[in-house]
Amino acid sequence: MFDKGLWLQNYKQTKLVIGLMFALYLVHMPFQAVLAIETWMEREEMADSIDDYVYEVQRWDVLQVFSEGIISVFLLITVVVLAGLLIGLERNTRKMDFAFSLPYKRRDLFWAKWAFGSTAITAFHSFSFLSAFLIIWFSPYQDAFNQVTTAEILIQPFVGMILIFTFALFVGTFTGEMISQMVVTVLLGFFPLGIYHLTERIIDIHLNFILPIPRFLDFITPFMYVLESDQHSWMAGSGIIGIIIFLSAGKRIYERNELEHNGEFLIFKSLHRPAYIVIVLMISMFGGTILSSLAPWNADILQILSYWIGFFGFLLFALLITRKVLEMNVLIKSQS
Amino acid sequence: MKVEQLSKNINGKSVLNDINFDVSPGTITGLIGRNGAGKTTLLRTIVGIYHPSSGDVAINGKSVYTHPEVKQKLFFVPDSSDALKNYSTAELIRLYQRVYPDFDAEYLHSCMERFALPQVKRISHYSKGMKALFSLFVAFATKADYILLDEPTDGLDVIVKKQVQQLLLEQVSENGTSVIISSHRLDELEYMAENMLVIRDGCLDDHYELSDLKNRYKKIQAAFSDQIPEELENKASILNQTGRVYTLLMDNESFTSLDEIKKYQPLLLEELPLSLEDVFVAKFGGDPYV
Repeated sequence: MFDKGLWLQNYKQTKLVIGLMFALYLVHMPFQAVLAIETWMEREEMADSIDDYVYEVQRWDVLQVFSEGIISVFLLITVVVLAGLLIGLERNTRKMDFAFSLPYKRRDLFWAKWAFGSTAITAFHSFSFLSAFLIIWFSPYQDAFNQVTTAEILIQPFVGMILIFTFALFVGTFTGEMISQMVVTVLLGFFPLGIYHLTERIIDIHLNFILPIPRFLDFITPFMYVLESDQHSWMAGSGIIGIIIFLSAGKRIYERNELEHNGEFLIFKSLHRPAYIVIVLMISMFGGTILSSLAPWNADILQILSYWIGFFGFLLFALLITRKVLEMNVLIKSQS
Repeated sequence: MKVEQLSKNINGKSVLNDINFDVSPGTITGLIGRNGAGKTTLLRTIVGIYHPSSGDVAINGKSVYTHPEVKQKLFFVPDSSDALKNYSTAELIRLYQRVYPDFDAEYLHSCMERFALPQVKRISHYSKGMKALFSLFVAFATKADYILLDEPTDGLDVIVKKQVQQLLLEQVSENGTSVIISSHRLDELEYMAENMLVIRDGCLDDHYELSDLKNRYKKIQAAFSDQIPEELENKASILNQTGRVYTLLMDNESFTSLDEIKKYQPLLLEELPLSLEDVFVAKFGGDPYV
């Protein structure tokens, strides 16, 4: 797992993104902490000018520093790209000739990739957290920490990042190249919530019934572990279970990879048919949702009509494009 | 190294079918076949990039698939060094030192000095010939017992080709390294290789030593007053025909001496030096670059 050769190889392959991730983490929590303190001070000053009003930092404000903001989204993208560079890039370039002829078990190659990425995330996250923690601790708002737990500001966001990285690596074990790995990671990363919203829309416009959002969807939607700041207390635990599942499944699939299909959208031919059906159906439902949302909210019949026009319009488009995508091969041939 | 009953199916199509051969220490083996015959797939399968559908490759009795650590004795040089283009020479040396415990950095530096190859910050800064040479230096510096080269001289100029050949021959004779070379350049293989593996449609069509080859065939030039006699045409492979002058490849099993042709009263009859290319033109028919 910590073989120096593989460590060096993985670092060389991802150097730029690792640098970018470090830069983002550097400004993520510490920068948000500084901005938050500024805001809290301004609010306090404003509160002082109003009689009988005392400003207190809210729990929500503290959670925002450690797990919210646009930088979290950039970090999420960076983590997915990191996984793409570690697995997907090897697939659509001649790097596979190099990587897979090395004297290592495939299992060890996979572990090394996971260990490398996880160590980088752990180191940068810890540094960022500690910096932000100390900035707030030595500010007048030290008491703000009384409103949150360590799990909420440290463990859950950290587990979320490792989960997304592990999930993206897992997706890389059955996708055939880097772009498809990242696209499928995003699609599957939101899949449970996405399916809910698409289904909810079709039920809503046909039956005038709004399907309540089940809480368990947060647990089975990987991206919610990072994007949802006010997480259920069990999510750290379920996140760790997710990491274990994706890691062991990814290892197994990676060992069985048929590298001759590298460069294709998916490397397992048996996945093509189910993927084709699901992608076409989702694009069609998405089309229906988009078009029906353009109709006036109280025009029920028009909504239904526009839904099915959108559905079938996007269905045609999906049928044409999805087959092409699944049959593509973006293996970059030699350029010696 | 022993390759046993190696088969590989891709998309339900047999790309390699029941390949068997041994590679002895200190030999150069040529791997030839037409484009798409399965040469690169065979090399990639031997080195474990592809998993075989059946069969095995063993080094000192250990399978490269179940014991990949034996690949410390097996090094693959693909036809492109694209994978390593972003590495500096120093980084690559550090990497290989960590992966191959016997890696000889001193040897690599001495080769670079001998062939005037500078240290670079990116391998992509090397010319094509320099990359080919550097890949060979690295391969030999790993001290692997078996080195697989996929089209090592493809696109190189004559000077670099000679340097590559010289280095290969030196390594094989001095260190007992075994080299398998996949190439279309029969003239080069004839100069270097002792054994030949011929791949046709994923099957091992032939496997022989080059010295045997010279004994197995004769190349004859003969001119006849009319067309070539039908009986002779059936026995021989016609390599070339210019008017009534024929260049023939004769199998020694069906043809023992020139006297057998003399009975057809040729106007001209002489034996020509046989090249590997002649045999493969006859075997594969047409393109001399098989």
